[in-house]
Amino acid sequence: MSLIQVDDLAKSYGKLVAVDGLSLRVEEGDIMGLIGPDGAGKSTTMKIIVGVLKPDRGCVRVFNEEPWDNPDVKSRIGIIHERAYFPSHHKVLDYLQRVCRIFGKPESRAREVLALTKLEDAYDRTIKTLSAAMLQKFAIAHACVNQPGLIIADEPTSNLDPESRSDLLDLILKLHHDENVTFLISSDIVPELNKVCDSVAIINQGKVWASGGLTELSERLGARTTRISTDNPEALGGLIRKLEYVSRVEVDSRGVSVGVLAGDDERLYEDVPRLAKEAKAKIVGIETGTASLEELFRVAVKYGQGGGRRWEKADRS
Amino acid sequence: MGKGRPFLEVFTCVLNEDYEFPILEFLVFLCALCTFFLAGLAAVSDFTSDFTTVEAFTHNLLSSSTWPLIILVGIPILKNIAYGLGSDVEKGIIQTLFSYPLKRGYILTAKLLSALVIPLLLFLGISIFGLFLFFPDIILANPGTVFLTYAAQLSPVLLTAGLLLLLALRLKRGVLALITGLVLCFMLFVIFDSLANSIAYATGSDWSLKIYAVITPNLALQEYYVGTQGFSSEIWAPSFSEVLLYLLAGYLLVAVVFIIGYVYFKRRLRI
Repeated sequence: MSLIQVDDLAKSYGKLVAVDGLSLRVEEGDIMGLIGPDGAGKSTTMKIIVGVLKPDRGCVRVFNEEPWDNPDVKSRIGIIHERAYFPSHHKVLDYLQRVCRIFGKPESRAREVLALTKLEDAYDRTIKTLSAAMLQKFAIAHACVNQPGLIIADEPTSNLDPESRSDLLDLILKLHHDENVTFLISSDIVPELNKVCDSVAIINQGKVWASGGLTELSERLGARTTRISTDNPEALGGLIRKLEYVSRVEVDSRGVSVGVLAGDDERLYEDVPRLAKEAKAKIVGIETGTASLEELFRVAVKYGQGGGRRWEKADRS
Repeated sequence: MGKGRPFLEVFTCVLNEDYEFPILEFLVFLCALCTFFLAGLAAVSDFTSDFTTVEAFTHNLLSSSTWPLIILVGIPILKNIAYGLGSDVEKGIIQTLFSYPLKRGYILTAKLLSALVIPLLLFLGISIFGLFLFFPDIILANPGTVFLTYAAQLSPVLLTAGLLLLLALRLKRGVLALITGLVLCFMLFVIFDSLANSIAYATGSDWSLKIYAVITPNLALQEYYVGTQGFSSEIWAPSFSEVLLYLLAGYLLVAVVFIIGYVYFKRRLRI
């Protein structure tokens, strides 16, 4: 069952087209990542899904209801906004207890969610005294108060230090496994989504360019990572960077990782011996695997800004 | 889940945010002090003989002893609507409030109850109580005049609040809305007042005063009961039914401004 169904969504701000014909499905029990470059339309899409922004066109259903200004939908979802702001003069525990009452939950739930987000020490602090990272944790606790079946999180890890980020990802997995919470998460920090997401939707220029499971997407879009082991990675990497069909080159002490699209990996196999000779590098091994989410994101950004013909072709498949 | 509990919780939350201790307490103290001082002053200075009717005296007593209170309660109204609402939209607190299971209209109602209705109830409660203590016979004997005078005095306050609401929603910036709101108040109650009087004086016609009376119906009521100290009494002497018409027009204008604010907030406010 799809908890979120979005069809042909469009939203413009004056002449600026933020979302243009976007379609998306989030299935129950899924953790879906929404990735794309800045200005791709992620936040606008999320605001429409949580019902705080009205679309110009298209159909949005959340729990099979239209979300715009709909209290029934709001009572069933948890929302983490990109910029979390709360009435600042309240104390942390007092405010969450009030939120519990708003959602008709017992006040004890406030302590539970503060414990979940490791904010037990901040009970008596006023919200305005919280650090940026604590405020972000508070926003996460706030989103969990109503025991939602669906949490929609726009950049939930922004402002968090690495340890807190890791805690948050663990919390997402815990809520997913223990309470079967469905997540729709957007983040620019793609490796993090890679850790928790079952599926992703890549958004660029207001459209979903591709969506699905990570392996499936990698196959469909044909993004590949070729690993070349060599004794002279710096020189070889420098020459590979000059190849126009290569999307990414990462050099480490033992070799070079090269991002390419399917089909181009064969060209790379042909070019590598010539380039190795030129770089006076000895090739120890060469193998190609499916791309990481980060790789897919990079390719989306690269082709989204220029000729995106290959991606459109891939999306249609 | 009923709407009553979430609404009350959001309202108390907004109330706590608007009147952090001891703002409200200090406001009550100042209002009470002003009322008792001015009503006491009126009680000891016997100026009943200056007026031809008891209604005129009642009207003048109410007008002269409540205007400082209107300025006092105007400060939190200006701060909470222009700066408060503007900042809430600017910072994203409204976005947080929108995540609660309430329709947008209820959120705005909670904001306006806190920002507007609470100060006005304070104003009415304290001033009526204070004047009743000093002049019980006059207040009890002239309920119609008391009602009309308060209605005429509150109309421009409500109109200003409505315009501040539109400003805050449109500008979405707290400080900018506050500054623009101050300019608006100055224009409405100083510039337009002088302009209406100057035009009437220069042209000998009462139309500018009539237009201004829609914004501030107390002008028409004042003319009707006691006449103003200046020249305008010679130019304009409204009848009682005209006064009621200006009052009605004033409140219609207020209603239109608030309806626009509500519709904008509910349907078009982008956050």
